[in-house]
Amino acid sequence: MTLFRVDTQINRPTAWILSWFLFVAGISLYFYTSQKRHLENPEDKVVPGLSQLSQGISDAFLKADADDQSATGDGFFHSMLWTDTVASGKRFLWAMLLLIPAVVLGLHMGMFPVVGQFFLRFILFFDKIIALSVLPVLFIAFGIDELAKIMLIVIGVTPTIILDCFNLTKGVPQEQIVKGFTLGAKDFSVTYRIVLKQIMPRVLNSIRLNLKAVMLFLFAGEMIASQNGLAFRIALLRRHMGMNVIIPYVLWVALLLFLVDLTMRVANRRLHPWFREA
Amino acid sequence: MSELIRISGVEVEYAAKKVLSGINVSIRQGELVTVCGRTGCGKSTMLRLILGAETPTRGRVLIDGREHGRPDRDRGYVPQKYSLFPDRTVLDNITFGPMMERFWLFGKRKKEHREEALEYLRMTGLHESDAHKYPDQLSGGMQQRVAIAQALIMRPRILLMDEAFSALDPATRADMQKLIRDLWARAGMTILFVTHNIAEAIYLGSRVLVLGKEQPEAGSRVLLDIEIEDCKHERLTKLIENAVMCNQREMEVPA
Repeated sequence: MTLFRVDTQINRPTAWILSWFLFVAGISLYFYTSQKRHLENPEDKVVPGLSQLSQGISDAFLKADADDQSATGDGFFHSMLWTDTVASGKRFLWAMLLLIPAVVLGLHMGMFPVVGQFFLRFILFFDKIIALSVLPVLFIAFGIDELAKIMLIVIGVTPTIILDCFNLTKGVPQEQIVKGFTLGAKDFSVTYRIVLKQIMPRVLNSIRLNLKAVMLFLFAGEMIASQNGLAFRIALLRRHMGMNVIIPYVLWVALLLFLVDLTMRVANRRLHPWFREA
Repeated sequence: MSELIRISGVEVEYAAKKVLSGINVSIRQGELVTVCGRTGCGKSTMLRLILGAETPTRGRVLIDGREHGRPDRDRGYVPQKYSLFPDRTVLDNITFGPMMERFWLFGKRKKEHREEALEYLRMTGLHESDAHKYPDQLSGGMQQRVAIAQALIMRPRILLMDEAFSALDPATRADMQKLIRDLWARAGMTILFVTHNIAEAIYLGSRVLVLGKEQPEAGSRVLLDIEIEDCKHERLTKLIENAVMCNQREMEVPA
């Protein structure tokens, strides 16, 4: 029995079968359940069958939102899915841009003891606040427009990124900093040209690992108060039991996240060829 | 030779634990001083005091009669580990210092620095083909050669080496020791070399300092301070060995 042997060697075909098995099993189970439910009730919407799903995909990918008066024309770039993706994408990009100051703050906290002392305790406290619990406060303070949703993401994710950058900065060996000074670098040169450059691949990894959290807060904001966006659509369709569109939407979001993650991974490898992931 | 470094009445304490106490040492310009002693006796602390990376609890460290603050380009540093920037190629590691001082955006300057860096690379026994490698693509010995070139290109007045060869295999270590002796003879700079290897201390140094604790609770002091002549005899080795092993200032040494 080699299942629980730590030195088991796996050949390529076995590795391929093992890694795809759960996908195949999941899809098979889904269609088995769907077929069973449709035998009992041909109008079942909870677990849509293949024809219902293809109808939902075609509606989402090719048709404009019927309720949207401004939407004109057909095709993917006028479709409900595309307009929702653009709306969510804009919020996502804003949130990602706002992570840059978080990285800079974490770096400065790690490098400059006064800055670290000033912010650390507060950020540690701030990190413990559940972002969703302050959602009403955000809606009161920033209104129900875009700002509140972006602030929700910022409050939810930035403390983690700040603390991660702080720890990564502290993890740079002291020898490297001393060496920088002996080579004529000043404080900011050491901070940006030695330390930031060294922690950057790990910072990108940290942001990558937090992508799901970014999306989680984005979806929470969109589901509660929004007129467009992927999560808004999912919340809206839930009321009509539109599972045949919700499922493609969920898979689309997963695909987008996977692509963003992949892009960041490839960019990280290209930008930092010296970096070896643990 | 004029006095370059003076350590007078230096004491260092960490959380009420004495590391160094009553250190009085004067180092002249152009000396190659090796500092040896047991693990934890404060060799590296003494080096970091001269480097400016640490401040004494009591006493003063003077360089050229003045107290110097934090590390600067006058004091080159080659540590045992993390001596190179992992995100830069060999060439970029060596040119890092010169680039810091000038407007690196100007191509001509950059080219000059690169040519100079290649000279230092050759001087330390490396090939031009290694110039575009990253540190993790080099062996330990090659990395330390680059670290020495990186420090030397700044033409520091003092070169501080902290157990710089302790992770190397004996053959590479011997090569590196020869390299340091040659560079010292050629450049005539002041070198302070910390090692726990007695043979290395005797081979390299023009003078050997032995640090040690006379009593377990006390901080380390200078137990032995010997000028080494060209002839290195067994008696000298025995004397240093006794000081390191027995933590005693005066020892009866077999003739």
